[in-house]
Amino acid sequence: MTRYLNLYWYFLIQRLKVLMEYRANFILGASSTIVWQASSIAAVWVVMQKVSNLNGWNYDEVLLIYGLVTLSKSINHMFADNLWTLGRQYIRSGGFDRFLVRPIDPLFHLLADRFCQDGIGNFLVGMTLVIKSSIDLGIDWTPPRLLMLIVGVVSGGLIFIALNLITCVTAFWIVDSVPITRLVFDNHLFAQYPLSIYPKVINILLTWIIPYGFASFYPASYVLNRAAGDIAWLGPFVAALLLFLGYRFWQFGLKYYSGTGT
Amino acid sequence: MTVIQVKELTKVFKIPKKEPGLGGAVKGLFRPQYENKTAVDGINFKVEAGEIVGYIGVNGAGKSTTIKMLTGVLMPTSGSVRVLKRDPHRQRVENAREIGVVFGQRTQLWWDLALIESLNLIAKIYNVHPVKYRLALNKFTETLELGELLKTPVRNMSLGQKMRSELAAALIHEPRVVYLDEPTIGLDLIVKERIRDFIKAECIAKGMTVILTTHDLGDIEELCQRVIIIDDGRIIYDGPIETIKKKFGKFREITFETVEDVKALDLPEGAQMIPAEDHKVQIRFDRTISTASKVAGMVMNQIEVRDFSLSEPELSDIVRQIYNGALEREAR
Amino acid sequence: MQTARRDLSIYGAFIGMMPKVFMAYQVWFWVGLVLNIISMAILVYFWRAIYNDTGTISGLGLNQTLTYILLAFIFMPLTSIDVVWEIGSNLREGTIIHHLLRPINFQGMNYAQSLGILGMRLLLQLPMAVVAVLLFGLRFPADLSTWLAFLVSALLGFTVMFFFNWFLACLTFYTTEIWGLGVLIEGMSFFLSGSLVPLVMMPEWIRTIVLSIPFAQALAVPVSLLTGITPLTEAPRVWLVQVLWILGMWLASSLFFKVAVRKITVQGG
Repeated sequence: MTRYLNLYWYFLIQRLKVLMEYRANFILGASSTIVWQASSIAAVWVVMQKVSNLNGWNYDEVLLIYGLVTLSKSINHMFADNLWTLGRQYIRSGGFDRFLVRPIDPLFHLLADRFCQDGIGNFLVGMTLVIKSSIDLGIDWTPPRLLMLIVGVVSGGLIFIALNLITCVTAFWIVDSVPITRLVFDNHLFAQYPLSIYPKVINILLTWIIPYGFASFYPASYVLNRAAGDIAWLGPFVAALLLFLGYRFWQFGLKYYSGTGT
Repeated sequence: MTVIQVKELTKVFKIPKKEPGLGGAVKGLFRPQYENKTAVDGINFKVEAGEIVGYIGVNGAGKSTTIKMLTGVLMPTSGSVRVLKRDPHRQRVENAREIGVVFGQRTQLWWDLALIESLNLIAKIYNVHPVKYRLALNKFTETLELGELLKTPVRNMSLGQKMRSELAAALIHEPRVVYLDEPTIGLDLIVKERIRDFIKAECIAKGMTVILTTHDLGDIEELCQRVIIIDDGRIIYDGPIETIKKKFGKFREITFETVEDVKALDLPEGAQMIPAEDHKVQIRFDRTISTASKVAGMVMNQIEVRDFSLSEPELSDIVRQIYNGALEREAR
Repeated sequence: MQTARRDLSIYGAFIGMMPKVFMAYQVWFWVGLVLNIISMAILVYFWRAIYNDTGTISGLGLNQTLTYILLAFIFMPLTSIDVVWEIGSNLREGTIIHHLLRPINFQGMNYAQSLGILGMRLLLQLPMAVVAVLLFGLRFPADLSTWLAFLVSALLGFTVMFFFNWFLACLTFYTTEIWGLGVLIEGMSFFLSGSLVPLVMMPEWIRTIVLSIPFAQALAVPVSLLTGITPLTEAPRVWLVQVLWILGMWLASSLFFKVAVRKITVQGG
C-alpha cells in the first residue's frame, strides 16, 4: 500500500514537471475552469439580487451547496481524469496492453498516469465558495459540522470517481465510453442547487441512483441544520458501495478484455 | 532449464459476422452472428534459458496472439502456457516483474518526459534497486550511446533514437525473458546493426531468453539460433537457423519490368524463373553460385527491360516454400 | 451494364458502412439530446423556484422569463463560430497563402461556410425545441412579424460574431497559446451572451459591460426581440446598433488580417 502511495507521488511529480513546462497552458487550464464557474455564479448572484431566496435557501446557502459539489468534483477532476480517456487513448491504440505487462495494478496505473491541473481551478473555486458562504452565514464550525464538511467532500469526491469508473469500464466493450460517462456525469449539474427545487423524480435520481446529492445538498443541509441533513452521514457508505461496485465491474471488464483481445 | 513451455495452446476468437450492405449491417446490430476464428491452433514448443528464438510468420498467422498469451495480456482458450513456471495470465504481476517487452511501434516511454525521467519512473515501477539501476543506466548509456538522449523527451526523438531508448527501458530491470516485437522496423541499416549488436551483447551476456518477432530476415540471421515459423495458427517449422539460412539465406530476387510478356529465358546456373505478374519477370538466384550482374546481364541480352529491382525473398514466399517442402517430405 | 452493377455494389458497400458511422453519430445525437434536456430542466426548475409566487421580476413574468431562457438556450449556436479558428492555424502554418491565391473572396467564402454550418446546427436543435415544448411547456411566438424581426436580428448578430471571431483568430497568429484563450472565451460566453439571465434583470453596470461585448448582439438581442421583451417598435433601433457593431468589427478584423498576412508574405511565417 505504501509502495503504491510512493509510486503515485512519483507519477505526480513527473506529471507536474511536464505541466510546468507548458506553464501558460497550465495557468490557462486552471483559470478556464475558474472563469466558467465564475460565470455561472455571477448569474446566480444577479438573479438572487432580485429574489432573496431560492425555495427557502438564501444566496449564501446556495453558494455553500455549489461550493461543496465543486470541491467534490475537483477531487475527481484532479485524480481520476484519465478514466475518461481509457477507451479513446488506451484501448483504441493498444496502449492499454502496456499496463498489463507492468507489475502494478492497471487501474492504479491508469489513474496515476494523469493528474489533471484543470481540477485545481475547480478546487480553488470550491474552497472560495465554501469559505465565503461560511463567513457570510456566520457558521459555527462545531466538530460534527467540521467532520461533515470533510466527510461530505471526500465521500462526494469518491462518488464522482466511482460513477465515472462504472461508466468508463464500458470502454472495454464499446471503446468510446465518453458519451455514456457524460450521460451520468452531467447529472451533477442538478446538484449545484438545492434539491428541493426539483420534482420528486429528480430527487430520487440524485439521492439513490446517481447520488450526487451526497456531495452537496445533504452535507450542506446538515451544516445548516436543516431536516434533510440527517441522511448526509450515509454519504461514505454510499461512496464505499459505489466504489466496490465500480471495482468489481472493472475486474469484470478486464476479464472480458483479456479474453477477447482488442 | 525450460523457461517457456507451451502445450496445445489454442486461442479462438468470436468474430461478429458482417454481412454486406445496409440490410446486413442492420441485422448485425440486432441479431449479431458470430463465427469462430482460430488464431492459434494447439501449438507446442519449449524454450530453454538463454535461447534467442525468432518467431516468424506472415501477418495474421497468429504471431501477436501468441505473444499476447505469453506476456499474459490475452487469456488462452485452451491449452497451457508457462513462463518461468508461472501462468502469465493468472500470475500477471509476478510474471510481469521478470519480463521485458518491446512493442515495435508503441513506445512505453512517456511522451513528454525526458528519457531519464521515463527510465526513473520505470525503475520505480519495477522496484529496481537504486544501485543496480545506476549500474544498468551507466551501462546502457554507453552501449546504446544514450548520452544527450537522456535529456530528450520522446516526442523529439527520431525513430532510431526511440528504439534505442525503448530497449533501454525494456531491459533496465534485468528481465529474464524478453519479447521483442519488430524492434528494427523502419530503421536504416546502420541503426539496425547497432540495435542487433546491442541485443546480442546485452541479452547473451545476461543469459536472457529472447523471443523475437520480426519480418526482417536480417534480424533473424544475425540474432537467432532457432526459428519457429507459425502459419495459419500452426507451427510449420521449429528448428535451427542454419536450415533456414541454407535454404533461403543465400537467395536474392531480381524483378524485371518488361515490355512484352516473357515465357522462358536462358539463365546462368543457380538462377531460376519464378511466377510473376504480367510484364514482369522474376528471377531467384543463389548468390553463392551466381551474381546479380550475371543474371541481369544475361536477361537484358535477351529481352527489352524497362526497369528492375533487387530484393531478398519475401517471408511469405519462404513460408509457402516451407509449407510445400514439408508436405513434400511427408509424402515421401 | 457491368459498370452500372459494379457502381451499385460499391455504392452498396458505402451504404453498408453508413450504419457504423451513423451509429456513432447517433449515439452522440441521443446522448447530446439527453444532456441538453438536463440543462434545460435545471434552468426551468431554477427559475420556477426563483419566481415561486412572485408576479414579475424586473417587469418580466415567469412565463416570459422561461420563454426567454429556453429560447436563448435553443438558439445558442448563434454565438459559436469555430470555422474561423482554423484561420489561426492557417496563418501560423502559412497555408493561408493557398487560400488567398484562389480567385474567391476568402472572407466571403468563410462567411458562407459559417452560415451553412449555422443552419445545420440550428436544424439539429430542433429535437431539443420539441422536448422543450412537450416537457416544459415552451410556447413559440406565433406572430410572423416577430419572427421576421428576429431573423434579421439573428443574421446581423451572427455577422457581428463572425468578424469578432475573425479578429480573435488573427490574434492567434501572434500568440501561440490560443487554445486557452478560446476556452476562456467559451467559458464566459455563456454568461456574457445574456443567456443565463435576461438583460433587463442585470444591474445597470453589468448590463453595460455585457452590451459592450459582441456576444450579446448575437444572442440576447435577437432573442429579446423574439420573446417580445424588446418590443417590435424597437426593432429598427436594435438593427442599427447591430449594423454599427458589424462595421466596427469588420474594420478591426480586416485591418488585423491584412497586417497578419503581410507579416507572413514578407517574413515567411
